[in-house]
Amino acid sequence: MTRTTVIVTDPGQDQAAAIFAALAAPDEFDVVAVIASAGNIDLDQTVVNCLALLELAGRPDIPVFAGCPRPLARPLVTAEHVHGPTGLDGADLPAPTIAVQSEHGVDALIRILRAADETSVTILSLSPLTTIATAFVQDPSIVTKIERIVAMAGAYFEGGNITPAAEFNVYVDPHAAAIVFDSGAPLVVLPLDVTHKMLSTRERLDGFSATGTACGQAIDGMLTFSESFDLQKYGWHGAPLHGPCVPLYVLHPEMFSGREVSIRVETVSEVAMGTTSVDWWHVTDEPVNAFYVADGDADAFYRVLTDLYARLP
Amino acid sequence: MPGRKIIIDTDPGQDDAVAILLALASAELDVLGLTIVAGNVSLHYTVEAARKVVELAERTEVPIYAGCSRPISKPLVTAEHVHGATGIDGVDFADPTVPVQSEHAVDFIIRTLRAEPAGDVTLVTLGPLTNIGLALVKAPDIAPRVREIVAIMGSLHQGGNITPLGDFNTYVDPEAADLVLQSGIPIVMVPMDITHQVLNTRERLDAWRATGTRCGAAAADLMQFSEAFDLEKYGWGAAPLHDPCAIVYLLAPELFSGRTINVRVSTDGTVSTGMTVVDWWRVSGREPNCDYLLEVDVPALYDLMTERLALLP
Repeated sequence: MTRTTVIVTDPGQDQAAAIFAALAAPDEFDVVAVIASAGNIDLDQTVVNCLALLELAGRPDIPVFAGCPRPLARPLVTAEHVHGPTGLDGADLPAPTIAVQSEHGVDALIRILRAADETSVTILSLSPLTTIATAFVQDPSIVTKIERIVAMAGAYFEGGNITPAAEFNVYVDPHAAAIVFDSGAPLVVLPLDVTHKMLSTRERLDGFSATGTACGQAIDGMLTFSESFDLQKYGWHGAPLHGPCVPLYVLHPEMFSGREVSIRVETVSEVAMGTTSVDWWHVTDEPVNAFYVADGDADAFYRVLTDLYARLP
Repeated sequence: MPGRKIIIDTDPGQDDAVAILLALASAELDVLGLTIVAGNVSLHYTVEAARKVVELAERTEVPIYAGCSRPISKPLVTAEHVHGATGIDGVDFADPTVPVQSEHAVDFIIRTLRAEPAGDVTLVTLGPLTNIGLALVKAPDIAPRVREIVAIMGSLHQGGNITPLGDFNTYVDPEAADLVLQSGIPIVMVPMDITHQVLNTRERLDAWRATGTRCGAAAADLMQFSEAFDLEKYGWGAAPLHDPCAIVYLLAPELFSGRTINVRVSTDGTVSTGMTVVDWWRVSGREPNCDYLLEVDVPALYDLMTERLALLP
């Protein structure tokens, strides 16, 4: 089944890995737009990165839009300390020849959803949720057009990464996350609890390069660069791999497990800002608003991911 | 050798009762007094429960002080749904006759810390931290005189229990918890990450009964009452054992491991109030303020408990 798909993202090496995975499955994902957002690095650079990634993957036909350059209510926090100054350090990507669309990413999202049938568009969210939330505020009627939002966001059992308790995408724009979580749109959350089980061991990254494709080799190079921060921090034998959990969940939900829960965001307390309150044990009466994925099969995940990269240029 | 001087601040509670029994059974510990706080049940019942426990152990010379009946700045939350109306449902105790001291627990704590040599007295907290927090506000001079606080509170990888993010002791009085954490007193935190490993299997409870002592049998009966709630909630084969872990830590710290890190409490959140923000990966830049325990030798812990319960009447 082909899903009309919009990718909202702030590449970032692991977001690049996720975009390539989605592009490698055109029978499943009909990617009608890639909307760049601010997050891992600033918006100007994530726009360039989206363009460069689509060219490398041989998909210059997919339009790229620039979304919001800043969070709703807090200053932008970026993560060059993880991703390097370009966000895609570790691979030598040629400067893109295609250009960004002039339409704002928020307007593009509203236009695409307005024109769509009810519950027909899948949104893959690989970044802070500012652009999606802004579109919901500007035109609340679009929410019903969404098949589901599959978002890399949050943490419960793992603790946070950018702060002790908060995961980066939610921390950067907790108010936007709250808007999206409360929107009524069907939501699947891929949190650190699952991405921290998908460790990018040397053997697994070598497998990407062994596909012999430029895209597989670029992903190996990029993740080798970005994982060094996490390898030093955690002392594990591989680094968490976040973004690709999103497309792979859509392609292979049977590789993952989770629960229907209420998920809410802390937006006031500074020490817990952006923490996701996940009612895993059902101790509140809060209504269920998400399927929260807490576990996955890492071996199967990397096997599928490698097969996907082998299909790309 | 005289025992290590401790004050047990507690809100019995079945697991508090077992912790008190364990302390009274251990010659290494000199229990200067039990200071009682509202928590698992109201102060009336927690005081009554403490009196019953010292009578059961035939240790009525240990003085009991009634403390705060309410948290510092929010209404009291109790947990009769876990502990029953008396806090120590599960055993038929005789009506207690041992008196309660006329001095308030907060004042006893202050007086004792001022009277004893600096660095001699350890505070063991098994409930919400209201009494300790209030003592630190009334008499900040006591802080450098405390040898150590060993506190049952907090959670990193287990989420909360009373809310999705808050463990009961922290959630009931977050202001008091944060006062203690920012006091500069050396703190050993015994969190849910520890107590959720210390599962009271039937085999382990039967070992307490097999001591042939009245106290061993009562400890097993108490835990068997309160475990019903957790068994249904978690669906595990046995329930967590919380408060006795603090006493075992004093007796055998080598059974535990953890890290010296910073912990703060969310006191002002929308969904995170009462959450411990545990900087396990040291990403906050905040100075360490406690030893946070994460691992424990569970069989050795139960062996030690059984050995000690056998020494009681």
